[in-house]
Amino acid sequence: MSMLNASAGAAQAPRLARSGANEKPRVAPWLLPLILVLGLFYLYPVFDVFRLAFMRATLLANDGSYTLSTLIQTLTRPELGQILWVTFVFTGSSVVAQQLLGLAIALVVVRGESRGLFGTTIVRTTALIAWVVPGIAGGIIWKMLFNEAPFGGLNSILRLMGAPPVQWLSDPHIVMWSVVLSNVWRGTAFSMVVMYAALKAIDPVLYEAAAVDGATARQRLVYVTLPQLRSAILVNMILITIQTLNTFDAIISLTGGGPGRATEVLSLYTFNVVFRNYDLSVGAVLSILMLAISLGLALVYAVFLPKDEK
Amino acid sequence: MTPKARLLSLLSAAAIAAPLATAMAQDTITGDTVGPADAANTLTFRMTTDGPRNNDPALAAKYGKLFNDFIANHKGWKIELQMMSGDIGQEQARMLEQAKSGNAPDCAAVDSFVLPLFKKAGVLKSFSPYFKKEEIDQLFPFVREGVTGKDGQIYAWWWSTDLRVLYRNKEIIKDGPQTWDETKKAALASVEQGMEGILFNGGRYEGTTFDWLANYWGEGGKLVDDAGKPIFGEGENRAKFVKAVAYYRDLVESGAAPKRVATIGNYDDFNAAAAAGTTALFVGGNWQLSQLKGALEPEEFAKWTFSPLPGATKDERSTGTGGWTVASFAKTDDKVAMCANLAREIYMGPANEIQEQLPTRADFYSKYPIFSNETNKAFGEALKVGQARPGAPVYPEISNQIQIMMGKVLTGTEATEAAVDEAYKASLAAFERL
Repeated sequence: MSMLNASAGAAQAPRLARSGANEKPRVAPWLLPLILVLGLFYLYPVFDVFRLAFMRATLLANDGSYTLSTLIQTLTRPELGQILWVTFVFTGSSVVAQQLLGLAIALVVVRGESRGLFGTTIVRTTALIAWVVPGIAGGIIWKMLFNEAPFGGLNSILRLMGAPPVQWLSDPHIVMWSVVLSNVWRGTAFSMVVMYAALKAIDPVLYEAAAVDGATARQRLVYVTLPQLRSAILVNMILITIQTLNTFDAIISLTGGGPGRATEVLSLYTFNVVFRNYDLSVGAVLSILMLAISLGLALVYAVFLPKDEK
Repeated sequence: MTPKARLLSLLSAAAIAAPLATAMAQDTITGDTVGPADAANTLTFRMTTDGPRNNDPALAAKYGKLFNDFIANHKGWKIELQMMSGDIGQEQARMLEQAKSGNAPDCAAVDSFVLPLFKKAGVLKSFSPYFKKEEIDQLFPFVREGVTGKDGQIYAWWWSTDLRVLYRNKEIIKDGPQTWDETKKAALASVEQGMEGILFNGGRYEGTTFDWLANYWGEGGKLVDDAGKPIFGEGENRAKFVKAVAYYRDLVESGAAPKRVATIGNYDDFNAAAAAGTTALFVGGNWQLSQLKGALEPEEFAKWTFSPLPGATKDERSTGTGGWTVASFAKTDDKVAMCANLAREIYMGPANEIQEQLPTRADFYSKYPIFSNETNKAFGEALKVGQARPGAPVYPEISNQIQIMMGKVLTGTEATEAAVDEAYKASLAAFERL
């Protein structure tokens, strides 16, 4: 079968080469609708954001003139440093935790499947349910759990166990970890799915060879599994980093960014600037900042991708 | 026909007939349209749940009747209903953007606290030709001022208002506290009886600012000057502002209020605490009285009452007043007139009555029996020291900054004066850009 395919491919190759030599490259007409849609719904808004960033436009007024003052004023705002730090802690913690937990669950599920254990489907489905829950709803669920009233979810359990209640949302030093926890709960399923697919794609022969060499479970993980997962881990981290940077729905319904600015991430700050302060230009500058951070991080991850898989 | 097939046919027929029956029951309200589908004129109306799509079926039916009667009186018209989501701030911002690009609905519910923004943007049509002077004169002064533009024309009809009061469990706190000191003492006394203490909004939520502002307004403090520029961080105003913030801080630090108030951003949390019997004192809205009535057993509800918000002294009292308006963005005069008719015939009075929402016209408190009862009379009395949010476009950002400041102060992460100064500086910067 493979011989037949190979010979067919060899026969076609010169014909394609001849055809390519005689015809000039041209824009395929079937791509035009796609280019039009992308241009209209993706590129134009991006262009508009860049245009607004160099204006002083609010929802109330726009004199139409261009200026650098918005850019300078926005990037020198005193609260921006704290917002970026909160964003860094939230994104970094969420990404690391989601990646580790997603990998751990995927390893457990794959291992369970290979041993024919009962419950692997239940584990996968349970994790996916959290992912399907919309961000706002997730925030509300966790708000009920973290409620510090005497009848609040988690504190009631702690009280039953004789433990003192925790100020999940009112303590500025704890609230960030409460928000990260709720985000990890929701986002882990995505990492699990990616890791699960990548684990399934590893050639079993590698494990057989490792077993023949007498490798321990830890050695199989470090020298076989993780190197084989490298690309998947990096791609997953790019995706969940961008996803987490853009997260604000779960935070707005859980803490609204408070107390104070303790959980106000860049995306929520941008939302507040546009929809509370009606400042389109500052919102545009902040959006570009988010874009730059996402692209920068994606490039950093891409550097570590195996060269042949880029 | 087999029994199974007959059953299926019956179920299918019932499924088809049910919506038709509902439509007939609701008369001319079908889907999102009120009135005959082939009516020559259409008015688009963007509304909150104060309408035929109210979550309470009984209220929805009452609104349905009001809308049906209205459209029956205006032959040749139909109304296309558009619903707003619960995120009012975002909805209003979007509507303002649509209005500026000429795509807003003909008629809409505009929150009274963002009305100044719409007026400043010049997107509202004058309602002056459609309301008599006697009607306008009956509006409470803060309402009349709120709807009137710089040219003396009125640009919306503000039909309902609300206010903040101090709710208490009479069994635990016998007398309504009149001053801040009395409030602290009463709250601490309730803590000794196993309660959480006084509850109030302190999270990132408009209610946090608005409920607290009564303390500042009671002292005579002002947020903005006549030009709409923030002035709360200067001179006497700053001293009053710091004093009112320190009052809230002291409530938390003394244990009179739980630290969790810094996370509360929803009036429903107070109802929940009252129902759970964990609080005996909270700052809430007048509408919560009927909610408490529905949530509590009659004997429990009988324990609850309310009093005006306390002040720094007995004589320094105020309360925040909000509410909803109806305004028009229509491009033609006949649609503006129809929107004004809708405001008058549905919302000005009838809607107040069916929803028990406080009217903005003084004469309605005697016209409608429901507003003549002792409770609503007491609310009406408290309205005398009512104060609306300032009609300045920078107010939403001032509110945002006060919410941030309150979070820092209540959690003790920043000194009161430093947090106030930060909020003031940020509000000024926002004002410069508007």
